[in-house]
Amino acid sequence: MSNIEKMNPQETQLQGLLAEYLTSRKPSNASTGHLDQDTLAAFTEGNLTELEARSAVSHLVDCSFCRHITAELVRLELQFAEEPAPSRSQEAQPAKISEVLSGLLTKMFGTSENAVFAHEDKDKEVENEKKDEKED
Amino acid sequence: MFIILRTVQPETQMDDALLKESAPRIAAIYEQCNADQPNFGVSEDCFAASLQKTISKYLAGASSEPVTTEQVNDFLDQIQAADLFMSLACANGNERAWWEFDTQHRGYMERVARHLAKTEADAQEVIDTVYVELYGTRVVDGERISKFSTYSGRGSIRGWLRTVIWHSLVDLHRAGHDEVSLDEMTETIGEGATHAAFAEQPSDGEGAMIESITRDRFRTATVSAIGNAFASLEDHEKLLLLYYHVENLKLREIAKLVENEASPLRGWFQRKTQTRDAGGRTHESTVMRWLEKTYARVLELFKTELVNVHSFSQAEIEQCLEMATQDLTAGNLFAGLKSGQIS
Repeated sequence: MSNIEKMNPQETQLQGLLAEYLTSRKPSNASTGHLDQDTLAAFTEGNLTELEARSAVSHLVDCSFCRHITAELVRLELQFAEEPAPSRSQEAQPAKISEVLSGLLTKMFGTSENAVFAHEDKDKEVENEKKDEKED
Repeated sequence: MFIILRTVQPETQMDDALLKESAPRIAAIYEQCNADQPNFGVSEDCFAASLQKTISKYLAGASSEPVTTEQVNDFLDQIQAADLFMSLACANGNERAWWEFDTQHRGYMERVARHLAKTEADAQEVIDTVYVELYGTRVVDGERISKFSTYSGRGSIRGWLRTVIWHSLVDLHRAGHDEVSLDEMTETIGEGATHAAFAEQPSDGEGAMIESITRDRFRTATVSAIGNAFASLEDHEKLLLLYYHVENLKLREIAKLVENEASPLRGWFQRKTQTRDAGGRTHESTVMRWLEKTYARVLELFKTELVNVHSFSQAEIEQCLEMATQDLTAGNLFAGLKSGQIS
């Protein structure tokens, strides 16, 4: 560290010991489950309230998995810090929307026709279920 | 031909009085969002329900103390309302919202995925997977569940997308490697992959011969005192040390983590160390001061234990530190921690 000269010799020695101690500890995962993606993202951006942050910080101390994710997210954020902020498109809504969603559905269901039929079948299935319930 | 998704109506569980008090603020936020994007088709009820769910889950749920109106209003002021509005519209299948989302964020998502993934193919697979999740393929009680419904608006949508992409890559990696632990998995993705290092396993006969009873006594005391000193720190201090020494975050990266002036981590350290920035970004030197104060605290706790528990004199403390530093070079001192031989 650049400020190493300013620390007294004992603090410098202790820093080395502490570093070794921390890296030697067995990685742990919190027993209470992991933080959800939304909380991890909000924590990394400093957008949690004090109240929420307290429990998040406690969790991150105990959970190496979540802590590592936040460290990676900080690096990612720095890497992309110069990206321009998203801005609204000035274009009028084109037929491209069809392409966006069709493309997605094609990937999921194979063809866009199958996608339509799959969804229609699903709708019919749900309608039929509701009819059955009413008759009961 | 478009598939119109059923409107998402998040469940709400919130105190009635708080609901009533937060209603005007939520209505004002909705009005602004709807004026900006009237074609997104998000109803005021849907928007309010989402925010109420977030308040109930994250704000009210964070403490046993009742939440005040002021806390709710502060919370609402920090919500990324425009991003939330778009995500709700996308969850509802609004075409215009999907188009805006794709136009604004796809390129960015692809760049993030390429940065994290090892191959272009992996990056593309992750993007496709994330898009499918965002659209939603699970149907519960007749409603398609979009991943957008998990976005609360507390952070920016791009920050959230980075997290989603990162997790998706972990899942992709896990799918290809059957018996790898979560920790090992996370350490092969992103820049952290180059920093991951485990302590060396203890050699057989670890109790590498100690020359004298004094060295043994010093070593035992050191391991105990440093462990207890760390355990006695506040969670924020522990996290700072863990980020610096275990996650190998650089000072500028930690500074980035606390860049937001409203960051509670920043606020905590400013109060604790009685340092206050002029505002704006936290400088690396400020983070360094926080670390120095934390080291000073650890040293104090460390010495206190050596004196009170192990009856060391000041001279012995100095000797102890000296020997421990020598032991570090030999890699002996904490070698048993990893395997759980020492707690």
